[in-house]
Amino acid sequence: MGYMLRRFGFYLVAFWVSITLNFFLPRFMPGDPVSRMVARLQGQLRPDQIEALKESFGLSDAPLWEQYLRYLGQLFTGNLGFSISRFPTPVVDVIGGVIGWTLLLGFVSLIIAVILGNVLGILAAWRRGGALDSYVPPFLIFIGSFPYFWLAMGLLYVFGVTLGWFPVRHAYGVGMTPGFSLAFIGDVAYHLVLPATSIVLVSIGGWMLGMRNTMIATNAEDYIVMAEAKGLGTNRIRTNYAARNALLPSVTAFGMSLGFLVGGALLTEVVFAYPGIGYTLLSAVQNLDYPLMQGLFLTITTFVLIANFLVDIVYVRLDPRVRVS
Amino acid sequence: MSLAQNPQAMAELDLGSAPGPDGQPQAAPPPPRKRGGGGLLRGLVGNSKSVAGIVILILFALIAIFAPVISPGDPNLITGMGSQPPSLEHWLGTTAKGQDVLALNIWGSRSSLFVGFSVGILAMLVGLLVGLASAYLGRWVDNLLSLITNVFLLLPGLPLLVILAAFLPQGLGTVIAVLVITGWAGSARVLRSQAMSIRGKDFVGASQVTGESPLRIMFREMLPNMASIVMSTFLACVIFGIGAQAGLEFLGLGDLSTVSWGTNLYWASNDGALLTGAWWVFVPPGVCIALVAFALALVNYGVDETTNPRLRRPRRRTTPDEPTRVAASAKSSSARAATSLKEQSR
Amino acid sequence: MTVHRKAVLVAAAFAATAALALSGCSGGGSTSAALDGSQLLTIPREDMGTFDRNFNPFSNPEFPMTQQAIYESMLVYNPADGSTTPWLATEWEVAPDSMGITYKLREGVKWSDGEPFTADDVVLSFDLQREIRGGFDYIETVTAVDPLTVTFDFNQPFSPALLDIGQQIIVPAHIWSEVEDTTKFANEEPVGTGPYTEVISFQSQSFDLGKNPEYWQPEKQQIEGIRMLAFAGNDGANLAAANGDVDWAPQFIPNIEEAYVAKDPENRFYWFPPTGSMINWQFNTTKAPFDDADVRKALSMAVDREQVTEIGMQGYTSPADCTGLSGSYDTWRDDAVVESCTWTNRDLKGAGELLDAAGITLGADGKRVLPDGTPFAFDFSVGSTSSDWVSVGNVISQNLAELGVTVTVAAKDWGDVVAGYENGTFDSGIVWSANAPTPYQFYRGAMSTETIKPVGEQTFDNYHRYGTPEADALLAQFAAAPDEAAQQAAADQLQALFAADAPLAPLFPGPEWGAASNARFTGWPTEENPYATLSTRSRTTVLVLTTLEPVVAD
Repeated sequence: MGYMLRRFGFYLVAFWVSITLNFFLPRFMPGDPVSRMVARLQGQLRPDQIEALKESFGLSDAPLWEQYLRYLGQLFTGNLGFSISRFPTPVVDVIGGVIGWTLLLGFVSLIIAVILGNVLGILAAWRRGGALDSYVPPFLIFIGSFPYFWLAMGLLYVFGVTLGWFPVRHAYGVGMTPGFSLAFIGDVAYHLVLPATSIVLVSIGGWMLGMRNTMIATNAEDYIVMAEAKGLGTNRIRTNYAARNALLPSVTAFGMSLGFLVGGALLTEVVFAYPGIGYTLLSAVQNLDYPLMQGLFLTITTFVLIANFLVDIVYVRLDPRVRVS
Repeated sequence: MSLAQNPQAMAELDLGSAPGPDGQPQAAPPPPRKRGGGGLLRGLVGNSKSVAGIVILILFALIAIFAPVISPGDPNLITGMGSQPPSLEHWLGTTAKGQDVLALNIWGSRSSLFVGFSVGILAMLVGLLVGLASAYLGRWVDNLLSLITNVFLLLPGLPLLVILAAFLPQGLGTVIAVLVITGWAGSARVLRSQAMSIRGKDFVGASQVTGESPLRIMFREMLPNMASIVMSTFLACVIFGIGAQAGLEFLGLGDLSTVSWGTNLYWASNDGALLTGAWWVFVPPGVCIALVAFALALVNYGVDETTNPRLRRPRRRTTPDEPTRVAASAKSSSARAATSLKEQSR
Repeated sequence: MTVHRKAVLVAAAFAATAALALSGCSGGGSTSAALDGSQLLTIPREDMGTFDRNFNPFSNPEFPMTQQAIYESMLVYNPADGSTTPWLATEWEVAPDSMGITYKLREGVKWSDGEPFTADDVVLSFDLQREIRGGFDYIETVTAVDPLTVTFDFNQPFSPALLDIGQQIIVPAHIWSEVEDTTKFANEEPVGTGPYTEVISFQSQSFDLGKNPEYWQPEKQQIEGIRMLAFAGNDGANLAAANGDVDWAPQFIPNIEEAYVAKDPENRFYWFPPTGSMINWQFNTTKAPFDDADVRKALSMAVDREQVTEIGMQGYTSPADCTGLSGSYDTWRDDAVVESCTWTNRDLKGAGELLDAAGITLGADGKRVLPDGTPFAFDFSVGSTSSDWVSVGNVISQNLAELGVTVTVAAKDWGDVVAGYENGTFDSGIVWSANAPTPYQFYRGAMSTETIKPVGEQTFDNYHRYGTPEADALLAQFAAAPDEAAQQAAADQLQALFAADAPLAPLFPGPEWGAASNARFTGWPTEENPYATLSTRSRTTVLVLTTLEPVVAD
């Protein structure tokens, strides 16, 4: 229990440091949101309108410390302010509108990559020296070495445009109304195929190789030998002794990946015009949209921390050695 | 960033055994103590995968070094002959602006390899220093450094990259600095856990008792035993450097005045290469990046197999029930460790 | 159960679920429904990754179709042919001293909720615009003389006001006067006078607008509705255009002949009238030697504008002339000035002579040095995301190298570049200019002392910080001009002054991107029939929306 409390306290501190950094860093960037808007609209914004803009965006000239304290206060009341680049939509609405799709894409890709990768890794360790063990991991690593946006564009053009097998943009067909009908879910799945495949292709090699190496190392541990000596059945050893321990690093990595899901696979979303949070994040940074940036950073940090914390909890349950320290 | 390109996760996955007391996964038991990393290098040269990887890397390094000699002309020369498919005159065709694709990619190797390896070395060095200091110097330093490491791990990479890239002046130095700042934390975490497990070994205690200075202990005693993990981390950081630079430049955030594989992809996309079917502009930079990253992964493979003999390819197919035959004796790990301890305490 | 068998079971379950899901889906991909006249006009938006439902025209004016299909203005000016079309106003009268204008509003116009359109709506709209977005500083009062007449009184003579005021969109007073915070009002169910005001569906990746049931030109509502698609960059929008999934492609398409037209040459076409703002190479005139007009002219003469437009801009536009006026001011252009112009044509020899005369001579290594011995080298700032302008920079750099001048293309984040412009710390760079209906704002921003702010003080106009009293006098003359002839006379003199002083080096008029396909809709504006431009973000867009007809296949 003390271990958990210490971890929790540590996470609180890390959280506070992160949001403080997220507040100050963007404000050190050159320029301000209004001049970025001018750059963006190139000639369509009239100079005599700038003052009014500044006022409506709520850009104050108060000293940074004051703004920071006000920001912290607003945070506790759940008020994330209004986005500047998407004025006057509130930040909460901007994030809420897009985060669902990012989580869907990221989560589906992660689950597929993890399950497939781990299964393949276990099978490869099963038959050491066989075809699966010798050729598949290097091949998958090679595929995963390509820049992932390159793979995404390649998939798009080969399977989407040239062959026409899959849709080439968006999360669902235009004109369909979102709902929980089978037709809609099917359509969403159909649109998920290409983007998810590109992410899976890039990451699966790592999962497979990792699981394989871990299984091999685990198979040689003393307690496996002991279990065999005791006369336990092969299957029981596989599941309860080897696989269970081999899963531990995967759990950590899975937890970490889960946290970073929220950052979104930016380039995949751009290539496939998937309405997720990745592009919102990039455009928020490029437009120096302080409130939206803060809101997004906050969301990402919270997710990562929660994921890490959950992983810690799960880890303690899976591995009692951690408690005894 | 893919998992394969995430140095921290990759390294954590490569570690094969039970976690240590602080909940972090531990390293595979280190090989018997040898002078420096001699055994590692010898092992690498003997391993076929890493030899293949090293050959590819040397090939690219030669291309980069001899770029002025082998390149068919100035890559920056803008001519009127746009979007020509591969021909005898232009082996890989031309871009929409009439630049020779082969020249662009040969010259591009310089920037990409330079940035990749610089980021790899620097990120690993910073991570190493932080990890070693954290592990050896103990409580206060450890808590502070761990906090800093975790905060950097939490900061979303891409926005930080964009912010920093806008902050600092144009140039390769900025790109390298930015990538090191966003990339060091992963290796620091991995190296710290490895260093922690070594810290607990008896030979470190013995060194303290005989009065060695902390610096000497960190670099002469602990570091050589971490050679394999350091190597893996270095390779992963280089992969990260190359990939992240390509991603940054593809978004137009890198240094657009240099010629590199990433900027080649940026121009390919902005000149509508795929839209007009000019695949010859788009494919070579991606393939080059993949080959270099793959070569590094192969060397990494070799490192794994050298230091963890169980991972070596068995001469014949086996089932998991059979003990893996290794060149050294088939003693269990604990027996081996006991032997090495006996050696050290002499 | 062994791990192996479990793994197989998991994989099988997965495949089964996937098959089930896929079986439930419709054809997906691009729809090629039968053309029965009810198809929606599909338009991509390439700079908004997702849509947020906010149709507030004051605080969110760039939102697609808000100012084009939902709200309208009193008149519409078409820069492609210089004509003005009465819209919500039928007649207007300018006061003799240019100190005011009276507009007579159209009878019988209704808001989409059935309420009548009156002068009170105009009055409130201007109040709101000035409060939320500012501008219109020359207006003293706006009065509703009677339900169909509005009078504007100015505090100074301002002849460009006719079109400036005329193109302001009008919102319903009976709705907006009830709104508490007009800046933050989301206006999710907009009420407007425009042809397409009903929001049929709204998602983050697309939204549909349907017909306004009370529109005042019902015979011109031939298309069923408008569908906007969101994309996070040009690539996605260009792919949609190439695939035929959209009807109108108003974004930059590289290599448009091959990428777009070649896929369906019978129906697809493009037209880039040079009616965007003039794109200039600006020099920071507070830094020597850029304060010397001859040096500016010399640098301008070294640029091969043919190459710039052919390679940098892929041939989509043509070189500028010494008046600095873009294609939207063709009716104002003084041909005499154009013919006697020298410094926008490529002339390396002449440029070399001018530089020599200014004391910037060629060194032994072929590079020019300033009188104090330092090499003549400087930066060319450009935003890295505008790849066509970066290409322009590369071409210019190559051109100037032949003159012995080293120009380094500094492609950075746009915000960074503009910050440098605003604070006056840049060397030189590529920049747009004002593009109002009359050339007044352009010349004011180019050479009026009223727009100059010192280095270090942030400014949003006249980044190059150049101005002369002669220009001020001419601009005042233009503003006070009682009729078009007087305006033209002042404009001619302004052009001559610009050609003499060369405050900026105009490169090329920014093209108004536009491509469309006749496959599903016909009636587009073209070069032969320029009744509007092909832009989806200008005032002329409503002209296109009310002229298009759907194709009905038999």
